[in-house]
Amino acid sequence: MTVVVQRAWRGSALPYHHPIGASTGYMVDLRDDWPAQVAAARDVSAFAAELSALSENQLEPLIDYLSTEPELPFRYLSIHGPSKDRASDEEELVDRLCKLVRYTDAIVMHPDTIEDAAPYRSLGRKLVLENMDARKGSGKTSEELATVFEQLPDAGFCFDIAHAWSIDPDMSVATELLDDFGDRLRHVHVSSLSDELHHIPLTHEHEDLFRPVLSRCVDVPWILEAPPRAM
Amino acid sequence: MSPDAKSPLERLGAAVGQDFSNLLKARELTASRLEVRQQQIAELEHDGDAAVVLMGSWGRAEVTSGSDDDFMVVVDGPVRSDVKPSIVEVEGVLDRAPGDQGIFGEPVFCSDLVENIGLDRDDNTNLTRRMLFLLESVSLTSDAVYRDAHGKVLARYLDESVKSFRPPRFLLNDTIRYWRTMCVDFVGKEAQGSPKWGLRNAKLRLSRKVLFTGGLLPILDCSRFGSKDIPGVLERRFQMPPSDRIAEAFLEHDAADADGRALGAYDEFIGLLNKRGVRAELEGVTRSSAADSVVFNEVRRLGEDLEHGLLALLFETGTLPQVVRDYGIF
Repeated sequence: MTVVVQRAWRGSALPYHHPIGASTGYMVDLRDDWPAQVAAARDVSAFAAELSALSENQLEPLIDYLSTEPELPFRYLSIHGPSKDRASDEEELVDRLCKLVRYTDAIVMHPDTIEDAAPYRSLGRKLVLENMDARKGSGKTSEELATVFEQLPDAGFCFDIAHAWSIDPDMSVATELLDDFGDRLRHVHVSSLSDELHHIPLTHEHEDLFRPVLSRCVDVPWILEAPPRAM
Repeated sequence: MSPDAKSPLERLGAAVGQDFSNLLKARELTASRLEVRQQQIAELEHDGDAAVVLMGSWGRAEVTSGSDDDFMVVVDGPVRSDVKPSIVEVEGVLDRAPGDQGIFGEPVFCSDLVENIGLDRDDNTNLTRRMLFLLESVSLTSDAVYRDAHGKVLARYLDESVKSFRPPRFLLNDTIRYWRTMCVDFVGKEAQGSPKWGLRNAKLRLSRKVLFTGGLLPILDCSRFGSKDIPGVLERRFQMPPSDRIAEAFLEHDAADADGRALGAYDEFIGLLNKRGVRAELEGVTRSSAADSVVFNEVRRLGEDLEHGLLALLFETGTLPQVVRDYGIF
């Protein structure tokens, strides 16, 4: 397998950050085909990626795929754990997530889906909690996240800048999140949001608006939650 | 490469409208003189595990009128004192004695190159021999012995630690170490009062930089390949002259214009070295007289053009900047 030279970022400020990677969460047409999702992510960046198993039934196939130990180019690889269609209890779910620990740098979970934090402690520093968007009941603000981090003191922080914007377009919530959890920051989710709060490619307007906040995150991977604009 | 296939340097020339005539003439001169020397040296009695190997401008395919015959008798067999052909026998055939007797004045055993990497036994001489052999050498006799030995040195760097889509760090670190060693030794030689400051400075700015980046770029490019493909990729690239390796990297990364300027400057330097009196003038330049030497200042300008083009490749193109950032410093 050969990694092609990428030039997809021309015309955008994003290429000036390194590393940038794609989330497979937006690759709806490739769902259930992990090699194809990895290939598509690699076409965006060979340096970082996030493999998304947003529904619980995607988790076992992902474990099967990674247990074959495919040769992946990514230096930073995160896995987004299930946030919907949950079937098993929390201990069973965490047992499965533990099988992924050796293959990944981070396992991202939505704090609003965590009812009992105790089992998640076994994920140690691989566990990363993401701030939520305005639709969610918890995990949106510093105050709400602080209670989860108190229970999971080893967990890292995944900063979703668009989620923070959805709560406060003036970006003061985003600033506060970085003020409070910047020392835990592990990676950033980058996108804009539609009116329905679905991830869409980063707009020029948001690129300008987000730049001061993103400038505080220059040393961690940025994961694109929607296709890069230039593609 | 088939005889009719264009070299990367020629393809680059076509892309940017340059003929790189000095470099291509030097390649022709290298090939024709190599043929003559091969016939001469082949008449000497050879041990079955010995090969005569030319280094420096021969390995870079950049022989000019004043080039030295820097050679090594490489032995891919047991260490011993009596090797055929002897150094004296080879020197008796070649026009110009090696420039540095410490490096080239005795048989070189492949086992030393392969087994003594790092630690005290890997002294300056062993490091220099190994890197010249790996990065800029060409066989004069016993090509099969040469290729086996070359493959063994490369394989030593590509052990089980090599990972897919990562530049092989062991080789990368040693290549960078060699470049820095050349730079540090330049100052060391100056402190010892070694002659030919100007020529050594010119070579450091241009020829040595081409040698280094001709090794560095293929190694960084391994970030695009799986671990099984990496040895073949490196072997193929290291068989090319360094200027072809550089041209290929620029073409691969869609930066032909910058390379046209970089290798255009290098082409001018090769042309300068071929001019009567230039080499002698550079040899006479000292640190204190450098500012007054028209030739030296021209060489300095060419060195800057080459460096700017190489830096543009490493820091202004698609993915290479990220690879350099991830692997080039630590």
